[in-house]
Amino acid sequence: MRRIWSWKNRLVPSLLLLLTLPVILFVLVGLSLNNIMRNSLSGMPFELWVIPGFIFIISSMGLFPLIYRDFFDLRVHRKVLAHVVLAPYRKRIMICGYLIVSGIEAIILGVISIGIFSAISSFPLSVIQTLFMIVCLSLYLLLLGNFLISMGLLINTVTTFSMISFITFIFILFGNGFIIEFGFFPAGIASFLKWQPISIPFQVFQLFINTNIIDWQMLVYPLVLVLFWVIANTKILKWKLRH
Amino acid sequence: MEASITLKKVGKLVGDKTILAGLSFGVERGSLVAIVGVNDSGKTTLLKLLSGFENPNYGQVFIHGLDMDKRRQETRKLIGYVPHENDLDPWLTLEQNIRFTSNLYKVSKSTASARILRYADALNLTQNLNELAMNVSHGTQKKTMLVRELVHDPDVLIMDEPTGYMDAESIRLTWDLLKELKGNKTIVYVSNALVEIEQAHDRILVFHEGQILMDGHLDKLLESTLDYHQFQIEFENLSKELYKKLANVATVVSPNRLDNIFHFYGRTRNVFFDVIRTASDELMIDLNVKKLGLRDLLDSEFAGRGLD
Repeated sequence: MRRIWSWKNRLVPSLLLLLTLPVILFVLVGLSLNNIMRNSLSGMPFELWVIPGFIFIISSMGLFPLIYRDFFDLRVHRKVLAHVVLAPYRKRIMICGYLIVSGIEAIILGVISIGIFSAISSFPLSVIQTLFMIVCLSLYLLLLGNFLISMGLLINTVTTFSMISFITFIFILFGNGFIIEFGFFPAGIASFLKWQPISIPFQVFQLFINTNIIDWQMLVYPLVLVLFWVIANTKILKWKLRH
Repeated sequence: MEASITLKKVGKLVGDKTILAGLSFGVERGSLVAIVGVNDSGKTTLLKLLSGFENPNYGQVFIHGLDMDKRRQETRKLIGYVPHENDLDPWLTLEQNIRFTSNLYKVSKSTASARILRYADALNLTQNLNELAMNVSHGTQKKTMLVRELVHDPDVLIMDEPTGYMDAESIRLTWDLLKELKGNKTIVYVSNALVEIEQAHDRILVFHEGQILMDGHLDKLLESTLDYHQFQIEFENLSKELYKKLANVATVVSPNRLDNIFHFYGRTRNVFFDVIRTASDELMIDLNVKKLGLRDLLDSEFAGRGLD
Protein backbone atom coordinates (compact mmCIF):
# COMPACT_ATOMS: atom_id res chain seq x y z
CA MET A 1 0.00 0.00 0.00
CA ARG A 2 2.80 2.39 0.94
CA ARG A 3 4.53 1.77 -2.40
CA ILE A 4 1.31 2.43 -4.30
CA TRP A 5 0.94 5.73 -2.41
CA SER A 6 4.59 6.59 -3.17
CA TRP A 7 4.04 5.92 -6.88
CA LYS A 8 0.81 7.90 -6.83
CA ASN A 9 2.47 10.88 -5.12
CA ARG A 10 5.23 10.97 -7.75
CA LEU A 11 3.38 9.56 -10.72
CA VAL A 12 4.78 11.65 -13.58
CA PRO A 13 8.53 11.34 -12.80
CA SER A 14 8.09 7.65 -11.95
CA LEU A 15 6.29 6.94 -15.24
CA LEU A 16 8.87 8.89 -17.23
CA LEU A 17 11.71 6.87 -15.68
CA LEU A 18 9.78 3.65 -16.17
CA LEU A 19 9.39 4.30 -19.90
CA THR A 20 12.85 5.78 -20.43
CA LEU A 21 14.98 2.95 -18.98
CA PRO A 22 13.95 0.16 -21.42
CA VAL A 23 14.16 2.51 -24.40
CA ILE A 24 17.64 3.76 -23.39
CA LEU A 25 18.89 0.20 -22.83
CA PHE A 26 17.47 -0.96 -26.17
CA VAL A 27 18.83 1.99 -28.15
CA LEU A 28 22.26 2.44 -26.56
CA VAL A 29 23.16 -1.15 -25.69
CA GLY A 30 20.91 -3.47 -27.71
CA LEU A 31 21.15 -1.80 -31.15
CA SER A 32 24.91 -1.22 -30.97
CA LEU A 33 25.93 -4.60 -29.56
CA ASN A 34 23.65 -6.34 -32.04
CA ASN A 35 26.04 -5.18 -34.76
CA ILE A 36 29.07 -6.47 -32.85
CA MET A 37 27.74 -9.84 -31.63
CA ARG A 38 25.12 -11.37 -33.91
CA ASN A 39 25.18 -14.73 -32.15
CA SER A 40 26.31 -15.92 -28.73
CA LEU A 41 29.23 -18.35 -28.34
CA SER A 42 26.68 -21.16 -28.09
CA GLY A 43 25.00 -19.98 -31.29
CA MET A 44 21.99 -18.32 -29.67
CA PRO A 45 20.75 -15.21 -31.54
CA PHE A 46 21.85 -12.02 -29.77
CA GLU A 47 18.30 -10.72 -29.30
CA LEU A 48 17.22 -13.96 -27.63
CA TRP A 49 20.16 -13.53 -25.27
CA VAL A 50 20.08 -9.85 -24.58
CA ILE A 51 16.36 -8.94 -24.39
CA PRO A 52 15.74 -11.22 -21.34
CA GLY A 53 18.99 -9.82 -19.93
CA PHE A 54 17.57 -6.29 -20.30
CA ILE A 55 14.43 -7.35 -18.44
CA PHE A 56 16.56 -8.70 -15.59
CA ILE A 57 18.51 -5.42 -15.53
CA ILE A 58 15.37 -3.26 -15.56
CA SER A 59 13.82 -5.34 -12.78
CA SER A 60 17.03 -4.94 -10.78
CA MET A 61 16.58 -1.20 -11.03
CA GLY A 62 12.96 -1.59 -9.92
CA LEU A 63 14.10 -3.43 -6.82
CA PHE A 64 16.48 -0.72 -5.78
CA PRO A 65 14.26 2.25 -4.69
CA LEU A 66 12.20 0.58 -1.96
CA ILE A 67 15.17 -1.19 -0.37
CA TYR A 68 17.46 1.82 -0.71
CA ARG A 69 14.83 4.14 0.80
CA ASP A 70 13.82 2.05 3.79
CA PHE A 71 16.99 0.20 4.67
CA PHE A 72 19.50 2.95 3.95
CA ASP A 73 18.21 6.47 3.31
CA LEU A 74 15.34 6.57 5.77
CA ARG A 75 17.22 4.37 8.28
CA VAL A 76 20.25 6.63 8.50
CA HIS A 77 17.87 9.58 8.87
CA ARG A 78 15.99 7.68 11.58
CA LYS A 79 12.69 7.57 9.75
CA VAL A 80 10.06 4.91 8.97
CA LEU A 81 12.14 1.76 9.59
CA ALA A 82 12.57 2.62 13.27
CA HIS A 83 8.79 3.03 13.48
CA VAL A 84 7.99 -0.12 11.49
CA VAL A 85 10.16 -2.35 13.70
CA LEU A 86 8.02 -1.40 16.72
CA ALA A 87 4.95 -2.97 15.08
CA PRO A 88 4.01 -6.40 16.43
CA TYR A 89 5.76 -8.47 13.74
CA ARG A 90 8.82 -10.67 13.75
CA LYS A 91 11.82 -9.09 12.05
CA ARG A 92 12.06 -12.08 9.71
CA ILE A 93 8.48 -11.47 8.56
CA MET A 94 9.37 -7.82 8.01
CA ILE A 95 12.40 -8.65 5.87
CA CYS A 96 10.31 -11.13 3.87
CA GLY A 97 7.58 -8.50 3.49
CA TYR A 98 10.02 -5.94 2.10
CA LEU A 99 11.56 -8.56 -0.22
CA ILE A 100 8.20 -9.67 -1.56
CA VAL A 101 6.80 -6.16 -2.05
CA SER A 102 9.94 -4.87 -3.75
CA GLY A 103 10.13 -8.11 -5.77
CA ILE A 104 6.54 -7.70 -6.99
CA GLU A 105 7.23 -4.07 -7.91
CA ALA A 106 10.36 -5.13 -9.81
CA ILE A 107 8.50 -7.91 -11.65
CA ILE A 108 5.75 -5.46 -12.65
CA LEU A 109 8.47 -3.20 -14.08
CA GLY A 110 9.90 -6.21 -15.91
CA VAL A 111 6.49 -7.11 -17.36
CA ILE A 112 5.90 -3.50 -18.47
CA SER A 113 9.30 -3.50 -20.16
CA ILE A 114 8.32 -6.73 -21.98
CA GLY A 115 5.39 -4.72 -23.37
CA ILE A 116 7.69 -1.87 -24.38
CA PHE A 117 10.19 -4.21 -26.08
CA SER A 118 7.32 -5.90 -27.89
CA ALA A 119 6.21 -2.48 -29.14
CA ILE A 120 9.61 -1.25 -30.35
CA SER A 121 11.01 -4.58 -31.61
CA SER A 122 9.90 -8.21 -31.86
CA PHE A 123 9.85 -9.98 -28.46
CA PRO A 124 11.85 -13.19 -28.97
CA LEU A 125 10.34 -15.45 -26.24
CA SER A 126 7.33 -17.79 -26.34
CA VAL A 127 4.65 -17.66 -23.59
CA ILE A 128 6.15 -20.67 -21.74
CA GLN A 129 9.65 -19.21 -21.97
CA THR A 130 8.34 -15.86 -20.70
CA LEU A 131 6.61 -17.52 -17.74
CA PHE A 132 9.75 -19.48 -16.86
CA MET A 133 11.77 -16.29 -17.19
CA ILE A 134 9.48 -14.68 -14.59
CA VAL A 135 10.12 -17.66 -12.24
CA CYS A 136 13.90 -17.27 -12.65
CA LEU A 137 13.57 -13.50 -12.40
CA SER A 138 11.73 -13.87 -9.06
CA LEU A 139 14.52 -16.03 -7.66
CA TYR A 140 17.15 -13.60 -8.95
CA LEU A 141 15.29 -10.67 -7.35
CA LEU A 142 15.12 -12.47 -4.00
CA LEU A 143 18.90 -12.93 -4.09
CA LEU A 144 19.64 -9.40 -5.23
CA GLY A 145 17.09 -8.01 -2.78
CA ASN A 146 18.81 -9.77 0.10
CA PHE A 147 22.15 -8.42 -1.07
CA LEU A 148 20.77 -4.86 -1.26
CA ILE A 149 19.17 -5.19 2.19
CA SER A 150 22.50 -6.34 3.69
CA MET A 151 24.22 -3.45 1.97
CA GLY A 152 21.56 -0.93 3.05
CA LEU A 153 21.78 -2.07 6.66
CA LEU A 154 25.54 -2.36 6.96
CA ILE A 155 26.54 0.90 5.27
CA ASN A 156 26.02 4.17 7.12
CA THR A 157 27.43 6.82 4.79
CA VAL A 158 26.05 8.09 1.49
CA THR A 159 29.50 8.15 -0.18
CA THR A 160 30.20 4.49 0.59
CA PHE A 161 26.69 3.51 -0.43
CA SER A 162 26.97 5.39 -3.74
CA MET A 163 30.32 3.76 -4.56
CA ILE A 164 29.12 0.27 -3.70
CA SER A 165 25.87 0.86 -5.61
CA PHE A 166 27.89 1.83 -8.69
CA ILE A 167 30.06 -1.27 -8.35
CA THR A 168 26.92 -3.38 -7.88
CA PHE A 169 25.36 -1.82 -10.98
CA ILE A 170 28.45 -2.61 -13.07
CA PHE A 171 28.40 -6.14 -11.67
CA ILE A 172 24.70 -6.52 -12.50
CA LEU A 173 25.32 -5.32 -16.06
CA PHE A 174 28.43 -7.35 -16.86
CA GLY A 175 28.90 -10.01 -14.16
CA ASN A 176 25.69 -11.99 -14.51
CA GLY A 177 25.74 -12.87 -18.19
CA PHE A 178 22.86 -10.54 -19.00
CA ILE A 179 24.78 -8.83 -21.81
CA ILE A 180 28.27 -10.38 -21.98
CA GLU A 181 28.53 -14.20 -22.01
CA PHE A 182 30.80 -15.79 -19.43
CA GLY A 183 32.71 -17.41 -22.31
CA PHE A 184 34.21 -14.02 -23.15
CA PHE A 185 35.92 -13.81 -19.74
CA PRO A 186 39.21 -15.55 -18.81
CA ALA A 187 38.51 -19.10 -17.57
CA GLY A 188 39.10 -18.39 -13.86
CA ILE A 189 36.85 -15.34 -13.77
CA ALA A 190 34.21 -17.10 -15.89
CA SER A 191 34.18 -19.98 -13.42
CA PHE A 192 33.76 -17.57 -10.47
CA LEU A 193 30.95 -15.68 -12.21
CA LYS A 194 29.16 -18.92 -13.09
CA TRP A 195 29.08 -20.03 -9.47
CA GLN A 196 28.31 -16.72 -7.83
CA PRO A 197 24.70 -17.28 -6.74
CA ILE A 198 23.11 -14.14 -8.22
CA SER A 199 23.98 -15.23 -11.76
CA ILE A 200 22.53 -18.74 -11.40
CA PRO A 201 18.81 -17.99 -12.09
CA PHE A 202 19.71 -16.38 -15.44
CA GLN A 203 21.92 -19.35 -16.37
CA VAL A 204 19.07 -21.76 -15.56
CA PHE A 205 16.79 -19.66 -17.75
CA GLN A 206 19.37 -19.65 -20.61
CA LEU A 207 19.69 -23.42 -20.34
CA PHE A 208 15.89 -23.74 -20.59
CA ILE A 209 15.55 -21.60 -23.73
CA ASN A 210 18.53 -23.41 -25.30
CA THR A 211 17.63 -26.99 -24.45
CA ASN A 212 14.14 -26.99 -22.86
CA ILE A 213 15.71 -28.58 -19.76
CA ILE A 214 15.08 -27.19 -16.27
CA ASP A 215 18.03 -27.72 -13.94
CA TRP A 216 16.17 -28.05 -10.62
CA GLN A 217 19.32 -28.62 -8.62
CA MET A 218 20.73 -25.32 -9.78
CA LEU A 219 17.45 -23.64 -8.78
CA VAL A 220 17.45 -25.15 -5.29
CA TYR A 221 20.95 -23.87 -4.44
CA PRO A 222 20.07 -20.15 -4.66
CA LEU A 223 16.69 -20.81 -3.05
CA VAL A 224 18.37 -22.27 0.05
CA LEU A 225 20.76 -19.35 0.02
CA VAL A 226 17.78 -16.94 0.00
CA LEU A 227 16.40 -18.55 3.16
CA PHE A 228 19.73 -18.33 5.01
CA TRP A 229 20.26 -14.79 3.76
CA VAL A 230 16.88 -13.70 5.15
CA ILE A 231 17.91 -15.08 8.56
CA ALA A 232 21.27 -13.29 8.30
CA ASN A 233 19.56 -10.02 7.38
CA THR A 234 17.21 -10.43 10.35
CA LYS A 235 20.24 -10.69 12.64
CA ILE A 236 21.87 -7.66 11.01
CA LEU A 237 18.64 -5.65 11.40
CA LYS A 238 18.40 -6.54 15.10
CA TRP A 239 22.05 -5.70 15.63
CA LYS A 240 21.80 -2.40 13.77
CA LEU A 241 18.70 -1.31 15.67
CA ARG A 242 20.11 -2.64 18.96
CA HIS A 243 16.99 -4.81 19.43
CA MET B 1 -4.23 0.75 41.45
CA GLU B 2 -2.96 -1.81 38.94
CA ALA B 3 0.51 -1.35 37.46
CA SER B 4 0.72 -0.53 33.80
CA ILE B 5 4.50 -0.45 33.55
CA THR B 6 6.90 -2.19 35.92
CA LEU B 7 10.68 -2.05 35.78
CA LYS B 8 12.72 -4.52 37.79
CA LYS B 9 16.40 -3.70 38.24
CA VAL B 10 16.71 -2.50 34.65
CA GLY B 11 20.14 -1.51 33.43
CA LYS B 12 21.45 -0.22 30.13
CA LEU B 13 25.06 0.14 29.12
CA VAL B 14 26.57 1.72 26.04
CA GLY B 15 30.11 0.42 25.80
CA ASP B 16 31.54 0.84 29.29
CA LYS B 17 29.22 3.70 30.17
CA THR B 18 26.22 3.01 32.38
CA ILE B 19 23.20 4.85 31.00
CA LEU B 20 20.60 3.32 33.32
CA ALA B 21 21.62 1.72 36.59
CA GLY B 22 19.34 -0.93 38.14
CA LEU B 23 16.10 1.02 37.81
CA SER B 24 13.04 -0.31 39.63
CA PHE B 25 9.72 1.49 39.62
CA GLY B 26 6.11 1.06 38.59
CA VAL B 27 3.63 3.28 36.76
CA GLU B 28 -0.08 3.03 37.56
CA ARG B 29 -2.59 2.44 34.79
CA GLY B 30 -4.12 5.59 33.40
CA SER B 31 -1.62 7.93 35.00
CA LEU B 32 0.29 10.81 33.41
CA VAL B 33 3.95 10.58 34.30
CA ALA B 34 6.58 13.16 33.40
CA ILE B 35 10.29 12.41 33.32
CA VAL B 36 12.69 15.31 33.73
CA GLY B 37 16.43 15.64 34.12
CA VAL B 38 19.51 17.20 32.62
CA ASN B 39 20.71 16.23 29.14
CA ASP B 40 22.29 12.75 28.90
CA SER B 41 20.74 11.67 32.19
CA GLY B 42 19.19 8.60 30.51
CA LYS B 43 15.63 9.87 29.94
CA THR B 44 15.42 9.09 26.23
CA THR B 45 17.12 5.72 26.76
CA LEU B 46 14.47 4.88 29.33
CA LEU B 47 11.73 5.77 26.82
CA LYS B 48 13.38 3.57 24.20
CA LEU B 49 13.37 0.66 26.64
CA LEU B 50 9.73 1.26 27.56
CA SER B 51 8.72 1.46 23.90
CA GLY B 52 10.58 -1.75 23.04
CA PHE B 53 12.88 0.12 20.69
CA GLU B 54 15.91 -1.06 22.65
CA ASN B 55 16.45 -3.96 25.05
CA PRO B 56 17.94 -3.58 28.52
CA ASN B 57 21.30 -5.22 29.25
CA TYR B 58 19.84 -6.63 32.45
CA GLY B 59 16.57 -6.55 34.38
CA GLN B 60 12.99 -6.85 33.14
CA VAL B 61 10.33 -4.48 31.84
CA PHE B 62 6.68 -5.51 32.21
CA ILE B 63 3.76 -3.92 30.38
CA HIS B 64 0.40 -4.84 31.92
CA GLY B 65 2.19 -7.72 33.63
CA LEU B 66 3.68 -9.09 30.40
CA ASP B 67 7.45 -9.41 30.15
CA MET B 68 8.51 -7.24 27.19
CA ASP B 69 11.35 -9.56 26.30
CA LYS B 70 9.35 -12.78 26.34
CA ARG B 71 5.98 -11.47 25.06
CA ARG B 72 7.17 -8.99 22.44
CA GLN B 73 4.31 -9.29 19.96
CA GLU B 74 1.66 -8.79 22.64
CA THR B 75 3.38 -5.94 24.45
CA ARG B 76 4.12 -4.06 21.22
CA LYS B 77 0.42 -3.90 20.43
CA LEU B 78 -0.10 -2.16 23.77
CA ILE B 79 2.46 0.60 23.19
CA GLY B 80 2.52 3.74 21.09
CA TYR B 81 5.83 5.59 20.86
CA VAL B 82 6.26 9.17 19.71
CA PRO B 83 9.99 9.89 19.36
CA HIS B 84 11.50 13.37 19.65
CA GLU B 85 12.61 13.64 16.02
CA ASN B 86 10.28 13.39 13.05
CA ASP B 87 10.27 9.84 11.70
CA LEU B 88 7.47 10.17 9.15
CA ASP B 89 7.91 9.02 5.56
CA PRO B 90 8.65 12.35 3.81
CA TRP B 91 7.19 11.19 0.48
CA LEU B 92 3.81 10.22 1.88
CA THR B 93 1.03 12.57 2.93
CA LEU B 94 0.25 12.94 6.61
CA GLU B 95 -2.89 10.83 6.24
CA GLN B 96 -1.00 8.13 4.31
CA ASN B 97 1.60 8.02 7.09
CA ILE B 98 -1.15 7.53 9.66
CA ARG B 99 -2.97 4.93 7.56
CA PHE B 100 0.26 3.03 7.00
CA THR B 101 0.51 2.57 10.77
CA SER B 102 -3.14 1.58 11.01
CA ASN B 103 -2.43 -1.10 8.38
CA LEU B 104 0.63 -2.29 10.31
CA TYR B 105 -1.51 -2.74 13.42
CA LYS B 106 -4.42 -4.24 11.43
CA VAL B 107 -6.89 -1.51 12.35
CA SER B 108 -9.96 -1.66 10.09
CA LYS B 109 -10.32 1.12 7.52
CA SER B 110 -13.52 2.50 9.06
CA THR B 111 -12.10 2.50 12.61
CA ALA B 112 -8.92 4.18 11.37
CA SER B 113 -10.97 6.83 9.53
CA ALA B 114 -13.02 7.55 12.63
CA ARG B 115 -9.92 7.87 14.81
CA ILE B 116 -8.09 10.05 12.29
CA LEU B 117 -11.13 12.32 12.09
CA ARG B 118 -11.38 12.57 15.87
CA TYR B 119 -7.72 13.16 16.69
CA ALA B 120 -6.90 15.31 13.66
CA ASP B 121 -9.87 17.48 14.55
CA ALA B 122 -8.77 17.71 18.18
CA LEU B 123 -5.28 18.82 17.11
CA ASN B 124 -6.48 21.11 14.31
CA LEU B 125 -4.66 18.95 11.77
CA THR B 126 -7.49 18.12 9.36
CA GLN B 127 -6.57 20.75 6.75
CA ASN B 128 -2.99 19.40 6.53
CA LEU B 129 -3.80 15.71 6.14
CA ASN B 130 -3.31 15.69 2.35
CA GLU B 131 0.04 17.45 2.40
CA LEU B 132 3.31 15.57 2.00
CA ALA B 133 5.08 15.10 5.34
CA MET B 134 8.20 16.87 4.04
CA ASN B 135 6.20 20.00 3.18
CA VAL B 136 4.72 20.72 6.61
CA SER B 137 6.24 22.34 9.68
CA HIS B 138 7.99 20.36 12.42
CA GLY B 139 5.12 21.10 14.79
CA THR B 140 2.58 19.67 12.35
CA GLN B 141 4.79 16.62 11.84
CA LYS B 142 4.89 16.14 15.61
CA LYS B 143 1.08 16.31 15.86
CA THR B 144 0.85 13.78 13.02
CA MET B 145 3.20 11.44 14.88
CA LEU B 146 0.87 11.61 17.87
CA VAL B 147 -2.22 10.83 15.75
CA ARG B 148 -0.27 8.05 14.03
CA GLU B 149 0.23 6.34 17.39
CA LEU B 150 -3.28 7.00 18.63
CA VAL B 151 -4.77 5.43 15.50
CA HIS B 152 -3.94 1.95 16.79
CA ASP B 153 -5.35 2.82 20.22
CA PRO B 154 -2.42 1.81 22.44
CA ASP B 155 -2.94 1.41 26.19
CA VAL B 156 0.44 2.94 26.93
CA LEU B 157 1.65 6.09 25.21
CA ILE B 158 5.37 6.88 25.43
CA MET B 159 6.38 10.33 24.21
CA ASP B 160 9.66 12.19 23.88
CA GLU B 161 8.99 15.95 24.00
CA PRO B 162 5.27 15.67 23.15
CA THR B 163 4.94 19.35 22.22
CA GLY B 164 8.37 19.80 20.64
CA TYR B 165 8.45 22.40 17.81
CA MET B 166 4.78 23.28 18.34
CA ASP B 167 3.25 26.76 18.44
CA ALA B 168 1.29 27.96 21.48
CA GLU B 169 -2.11 26.89 20.15
CA SER B 170 -0.87 23.44 19.15
CA ILE B 171 0.70 22.98 22.60
CA ARG B 172 -2.62 23.82 24.24
CA LEU B 173 -4.57 21.48 21.93
CA THR B 174 -2.07 18.65 22.47
CA TRP B 175 -2.27 18.92 26.24
CA ASP B 176 -6.07 19.16 26.11
CA LEU B 177 -6.10 15.89 24.17
CA LEU B 178 -3.55 14.16 26.39
CA LYS B 179 -5.41 15.18 29.55
CA GLU B 180 -8.61 13.82 27.97
CA LEU B 181 -6.87 10.53 27.18
CA LYS B 182 -5.35 10.25 30.65
CA GLY B 183 -7.28 7.71 32.69
CA ASN B 184 -7.87 5.44 29.70
CA LYS B 185 -4.23 5.39 28.70
CA THR B 186 -1.02 5.40 30.66
CA ILE B 187 1.06 8.31 29.39
CA VAL B 188 4.78 8.58 30.09
CA TYR B 189 6.66 11.49 28.61
CA VAL B 190 10.00 13.24 28.69
CA SER B 191 10.05 17.00 28.37
CA ASN B 192 12.20 20.00 29.00
CA ALA B 193 9.17 22.29 28.96
CA LEU B 194 8.98 22.56 32.76
CA VAL B 195 6.03 24.96 32.78
CA GLU B 196 4.02 22.37 30.82
CA ILE B 197 5.08 19.60 33.18
CA GLU B 198 3.96 21.65 36.20
CA GLN B 199 0.52 21.84 34.67
CA ALA B 200 0.23 18.30 33.31
CA HIS B 201 1.31 15.44 35.53
CA ASP B 202 0.19 12.97 38.17
CA ARG B 203 3.77 12.20 38.99
CA ILE B 204 7.22 13.50 38.12
CA LEU B 205 10.35 11.38 37.98
CA VAL B 206 13.54 13.40 38.29
CA PHE B 207 16.40 11.58 36.57
CA HIS B 208 20.07 12.00 37.24
CA GLU B 209 22.91 9.83 35.92
CA GLY B 210 20.63 6.93 35.07
CA GLN B 211 18.86 6.86 38.41
CA ILE B 212 15.69 8.32 39.86
CA LEU B 213 16.65 11.18 42.11
CA MET B 214 13.11 12.25 43.07
CA ASP B 215 9.71 10.73 42.47
CA GLY B 216 6.27 12.13 43.22
CA HIS B 217 3.74 14.89 42.58
CA LEU B 218 5.15 18.40 42.19
CA ASP B 219 3.74 19.46 45.58
CA LYS B 220 5.58 16.57 47.22
CA LEU B 221 8.79 17.32 45.38
CA LEU B 222 8.62 20.95 46.42
CA GLU B 223 7.89 20.11 50.05
CA SER B 224 11.55 20.26 50.95
CA THR B 225 11.82 23.71 49.40
CA LEU B 226 8.64 25.26 50.82
CA ASP B 227 10.60 27.71 52.94
CA TYR B 228 12.58 28.94 50.02
CA HIS B 229 11.92 31.88 47.74
CA GLN B 230 13.78 33.03 44.71
CA PHE B 231 14.78 36.65 44.40
CA GLN B 232 15.87 38.81 41.53
CA ILE B 233 17.28 42.33 41.76
CA GLU B 234 18.18 44.33 38.68
CA PHE B 235 20.86 46.96 39.23
CA GLU B 236 21.81 49.82 36.99
CA ASN B 237 25.35 48.52 37.16
CA LEU B 238 26.14 45.19 38.83
CA SER B 239 29.92 45.39 39.09
CA LYS B 240 32.13 42.38 39.84
CA GLU B 241 32.87 43.75 43.31
CA LEU B 242 29.20 44.28 44.08
CA TYR B 243 28.29 40.80 42.86
CA LYS B 244 31.02 39.29 45.04
CA LYS B 245 29.82 41.30 48.04
CA LEU B 246 26.20 40.21 47.55
CA ALA B 247 27.12 36.58 46.92
CA ASN B 248 29.00 36.55 50.21
CA VAL B 249 25.95 37.54 52.26
CA ALA B 250 25.64 34.60 54.67
CA THR B 251 21.94 33.93 54.05
CA VAL B 252 22.15 34.01 50.23
CA VAL B 253 21.87 30.56 48.56
CA SER B 254 22.97 29.64 45.01
CA PRO B 255 23.65 33.16 43.74
CA ASN B 256 24.17 33.84 40.03
CA ARG B 257 23.98 36.74 37.63
CA LEU B 258 22.69 37.61 34.20
CA ASP B 259 24.08 40.95 33.02
CA ASN B 260 22.95 43.39 35.71
CA ILE B 261 20.45 41.02 37.31
CA PHE B 262 21.43 39.36 40.60
CA HIS B 263 19.51 36.11 41.13
CA PHE B 264 19.54 34.12 44.37
CA TYR B 265 17.55 31.90 46.70
CA GLY B 266 16.86 32.39 50.38
CA ARG B 267 15.12 30.52 53.17
CA THR B 268 13.32 33.56 54.63
CA ARG B 269 12.24 36.88 53.22
CA ASN B 270 14.79 38.50 55.55
CA VAL B 271 17.52 37.45 53.13
CA PHE B 272 16.08 39.97 50.75
CA PHE B 273 16.58 42.78 53.25
CA ASP B 274 20.11 41.55 54.03
CA VAL B 275 20.94 41.94 50.34
CA ILE B 276 19.15 45.29 50.04
CA ARG B 277 21.10 46.61 53.01
CA THR B 278 24.40 45.43 51.51
CA ALA B 279 23.60 47.13 48.22
CA SER B 280 21.92 50.24 49.66
CA ASP B 281 24.33 52.60 47.90
CA GLU B 282 23.64 51.14 44.44
CA LEU B 283 20.86 52.14 42.06
CA MET B 284 18.27 49.35 41.72
CA ILE B 285 15.91 49.19 38.72
CA ASP B 286 13.65 46.22 39.44
CA LEU B 287 12.86 43.71 42.23
CA ASN B 288 11.17 40.33 42.00
CA VAL B 289 10.27 37.67 44.60
CA LYS B 290 8.76 34.28 43.63
CA LYS B 291 7.87 30.93 45.18
CA LEU B 292 9.91 28.03 43.84
CA GLY B 293 8.82 25.92 40.87
CA LEU B 294 10.06 22.78 39.17
CA ARG B 295 12.75 24.69 37.32
CA ASP B 296 14.23 26.04 40.55
CA LEU B 297 14.16 22.59 42.05
CA LEU B 298 16.02 21.09 39.10
CA ASP B 299 18.41 24.02 38.86
CA SER B 300 19.28 23.77 42.52
CA GLU B 301 19.71 20.00 42.35
CA PHE B 302 22.00 20.10 39.38
CA ALA B 303 23.86 23.29 40.13
CA GLY B 304 26.06 21.19 42.35
CA ARG B 305 25.42 23.46 45.29
CA GLY B 306 21.89 22.57 46.26
CA LEU B 307 19.44 24.60 48.28
CA ASP B 308 20.25 22.87 51.51
